[in-house]
Amino acid sequence: MTKPVLEMQDISKRFDMTQALDNVSLALYPGEIHALLGENGAGKSTLIKIMTGIYKADSGRVLLDDQPVTIQNALDAQTLGIAAIQQEPMIFPDLNVAENIFVSRRQRSLFINWRQMYREAEKILAQLDIKLDVRSPARGLTLAAQQAVEIAKAISLNVRVLIMDEPTASLSAHEVRQLFKLAMALRDQGVALLFISHRMEEVFEIADRITVFRDGQHISTRLRSEVTTESAIRDMVGREIEKIFAKANVEQGKRLIEVSGLSKDQAFSDISFDVHQGEVLGFAGLVGARRTDVGLALFGIEPADEGEIVFEQQKIAIHSPVQAMKLGIAYVTEDRRQLGLSMPMSIVTNITLPKLREYASSVGLVDNQAENEVANRFKERLSIRTPSVELEAGKLSGGNQQKVMLSKWLNTKPKLLILDEPTRGIDVGAKAEVHQMINDLAAEGLGIILISSDMPEVIAMSDRILVMREGRQMGVFERAEFDQERILTAAMGQTIATESST
Amino acid sequence: MRFNWQRLRSWEGLLLLLLIIVVIINVILSPFYLNLGNQINLFQLSIEKIIVALAMAFVIINAEIDLSVASVMGLSACVLAYLFDQGYSMGVAIFAALLSGVLCGAFNGFWIAYVRLPSLVVTLAGLIGYRGAARILVEDRSIGEFPDWFDALGQQPLVGPIPVAIIIFFVLLIISAVVLQRSMFGRYVYVIGNSLDVARFSGVNVKRVKMTLFIISGTTAALAGLLLAARLGAVRGNTAEGFELDIITMVLLGGVSIFGGTGSLTGVALAIILILNLRNGMSLANITGNTQTGVIGALLILSVLVPNWTQIINARLKRRQFQRTQVQEGG
Repeated sequence: MTKPVLEMQDISKRFDMTQALDNVSLALYPGEIHALLGENGAGKSTLIKIMTGIYKADSGRVLLDDQPVTIQNALDAQTLGIAAIQQEPMIFPDLNVAENIFVSRRQRSLFINWRQMYREAEKILAQLDIKLDVRSPARGLTLAAQQAVEIAKAISLNVRVLIMDEPTASLSAHEVRQLFKLAMALRDQGVALLFISHRMEEVFEIADRITVFRDGQHISTRLRSEVTTESAIRDMVGREIEKIFAKANVEQGKRLIEVSGLSKDQAFSDISFDVHQGEVLGFAGLVGARRTDVGLALFGIEPADEGEIVFEQQKIAIHSPVQAMKLGIAYVTEDRRQLGLSMPMSIVTNITLPKLREYASSVGLVDNQAENEVANRFKERLSIRTPSVELEAGKLSGGNQQKVMLSKWLNTKPKLLILDEPTRGIDVGAKAEVHQMINDLAAEGLGIILISSDMPEVIAMSDRILVMREGRQMGVFERAEFDQERILTAAMGQTIATESST
Repeated sequence: MRFNWQRLRSWEGLLLLLLIIVVIINVILSPFYLNLGNQINLFQLSIEKIIVALAMAFVIINAEIDLSVASVMGLSACVLAYLFDQGYSMGVAIFAALLSGVLCGAFNGFWIAYVRLPSLVVTLAGLIGYRGAARILVEDRSIGEFPDWFDALGQQPLVGPIPVAIIIFFVLLIISAVVLQRSMFGRYVYVIGNSLDVARFSGVNVKRVKMTLFIISGTTAALAGLLLAARLGAVRGNTAEGFELDIITMVLLGGVSIFGGTGSLTGVALAIILILNLRNGMSLANITGNTQTGVIGALLILSVLVPNWTQIINARLKRRQFQRTQVQEGG
C-alpha cells in the first residue's frame, strides 16, 4: 500500500466545556477519496479547521510525507498543498474566472501578464474538463461553477490534499454529477480527497474509504466495501442515551396550532404538524434540514408562501413578529449573539424589549422600577446568576444568556413557545436547568416546539418528533417509536427502516 | 445621589475636564470672557447648529447619519424667503418652510427605513438635491427685509438678555434628554443602534422608528433654518452651506459612536459647550479661524482614540490581574 500524504495523529482540541476532538487520528492517501461521517458536533469541522490552520490543536502531530509539519495559518496550509472547499464558495464576485483562480498566487510583480494568465487558466480548466470562459466575471456563475473555479484554484496551487466540506448541500442533482466527475478526475491525478457529506448515498457512491466520528472520537475507518449504510449509522449513533432528563407526562389540552402543507420557496416544502397544550414537539434533523426556517415562518420573520396555519381554531396567516406575539407565539432564536440579545444593553432592557409598551406611561416614559421588578422576578425564577439585572447581557456566561433570552420570551406570556437549539453551547448544569424549565412550562399548558440537533435531548424531551431533511418532512415519530438509529436514518434521507430490517 | 467618580474616567469626564481648562485659560486671556453678554453671544453664533446637533445625536445613536441637514436648513430658509417675496403672509411662509423640512425628512426616511438604502448615500443625495431646490427658489439673489417681529426672533433678547433661539435650544435639550434616556422611543433608538436584528426579532417596528427619526431630523433642521434666517435678516441660496460637518463633529465629539448604540446627550451638550468656548477663547487669543478648525479636528480624532486606548489599557490590566491570580492559585 502507498504511503499517506497527510497524517493526523492523536489530535485533541478542547473548547471551554466541550472536548471537540479526543485523540483522533486520520490518514489520507494519494489517489483516494476518503469520506468523513458524523452527527452534528462529532468534530468533523474542528478537524478540518485544524488541517487548514484556522484552529490550533491542543495536542497531537500532523505529518506530511512522514515529516512533522506545523500549520499555523491558512498560508501554511496553502504552501503545504492543503486546500478546502466550503459549502459556500469563497469567490470574489467582481473578479473574472482567471483572476479568481490565481488570486492567491504568491509571486508578485508590478505588471500582470494577462495573456499568460488567461492561457494558464484555460489550461487548468481544460485539464479538469470544465467549460467556462476565463474572462467572464465570477458574479454570474452558478454555485456549481463557482465551486469548479475553487477547485481550479486549488489545482493551480498544486494541491495535494483537497477537503470538500458539504460541497453538495446546495447543488442540484445534475451539478452534483459534475462535481463528482471533477472529484474523480482529481483522484486519478493522485490528489487525496477528504469528502464530508450528510448524504449517505453520495458517500457510498464516491468514497473509497469511510471514517466515522462520534462525539469527538474516532470510531471506525474502513474500506467502502466493508461498510453498509446501517453499520455506518450505527457507528454514528452508537451511544447510550444519557438519562439527562425525561419529559414528564402531561395531560395534553386543546390543540393549539395546526399546520398543513406549509411551504416556502428555497427553504422548505409541505410541512404539516400540530401541537397541543402541554405538548413538546421535537424537530430533529441535521444541519441544513431547514428547521429554523419553519420556526421563522411561524414567528412571521420570513413568512411562508403557501400552506395553512390554524391557531386556536382560527385560520390565520402570520406575516410579522408583532402579529405572532399578539397571537401568543414566541421564538427563541439559536443565534444568541446576532438575533437573540442586544449584548451591550442591560439584562433588564433585553427582558422587557418585546413588551416595552406595558412598562410605558401614556406619554411614553418607561417605568424603570416596574421593569426591574419583572427582571428580578425572572432572575429568581430561572436562577440567572448575575449580581444585578442592570449588568450588560454580554457579560454573562452562555447559559445565563440563554436564561435571559428565555425570560424575555416568557415575559410575553406565550401560548406556543418555539425553542431553537436552546442548549447549544451551554454547560451541563445550565442545560439541565433549561430541560427542567421546558418540563415546567409544558406542565403549565404551553405548547412547545423544540428544534434541536442534540439527538438525546430531542428524544428525552419530546412527546413526538418531526424529522426534517433538506426542507422536507421525513416523518413524525410517536414516543413509543423513538429510536436514535431510526431518527438519524430518516434525517439522512434513507428510507425509514421497517421493523423487519432491524 | 452621590457623585459618581467612575464617570470622570469616561469620555464625558474628560470633556468636563477639558472644558474647565479651557474656561480657566479664557478667563486669564480676557477679563470680558465671563461677561453674560459674551457667553450669550458665543451661544448665539452657533445656535442653529447646536439645535440640529440634538436631533443628529438621535440619528447617529441609531447607527444612521443625516448629511442633508444643512441643505434642509437652507431650503427651509429659502422657502420662507421665496414665499415672503411672492407676497404671502409670514404665517403661511413659516408653515411652508417647516413643512418642507418634514417632507425632506420623510423622503430620506422612506428610502432608508422602507427600501433599506444606506443613509449615507440617501442623505448625500439629499444634501445635493435639497440645496439645488433652495438655489432654484432664490437664484442668486439675497432676500431680506422680513417683518421686524420675525427678525426679532433671532436678534432681540426675549427673557432678560437671552434671545428666543437659546431658550428654544435649552427646552429642546431637556426634552431630548428625557426622550432619549427615559422614553420607549429612546430605548428603541439605542437597541436598534446596537443590534438592529435583535430589535426586529423582538417585534420592534424598526421601520417606524427610523422613519420618525428622519422626520424629526428634517423638521428640526427646518426650524433651525428659520432661526438662521431671522438672525441673519437675509437669505441666500448658500445659507447654512457646510454646516452639516460642524453638527456631526459636535455629536461625535460628545462621545456618540459613529457605529451607533452608545452615547448620551450629557456628552453631546458638554461637547457643544466645549467647542463654543474653545472657539471663543481662540478668537480672544487672536487665533485664526483655520487654526481653530484644526484644533477641533484634532479633538475629534482624540474622541475616537481615547475610548479605544482606555479599552486596551483596561483589557491589559485585567489580563495582568488574571495572570497574577492564576500564578497565586498555581503556587
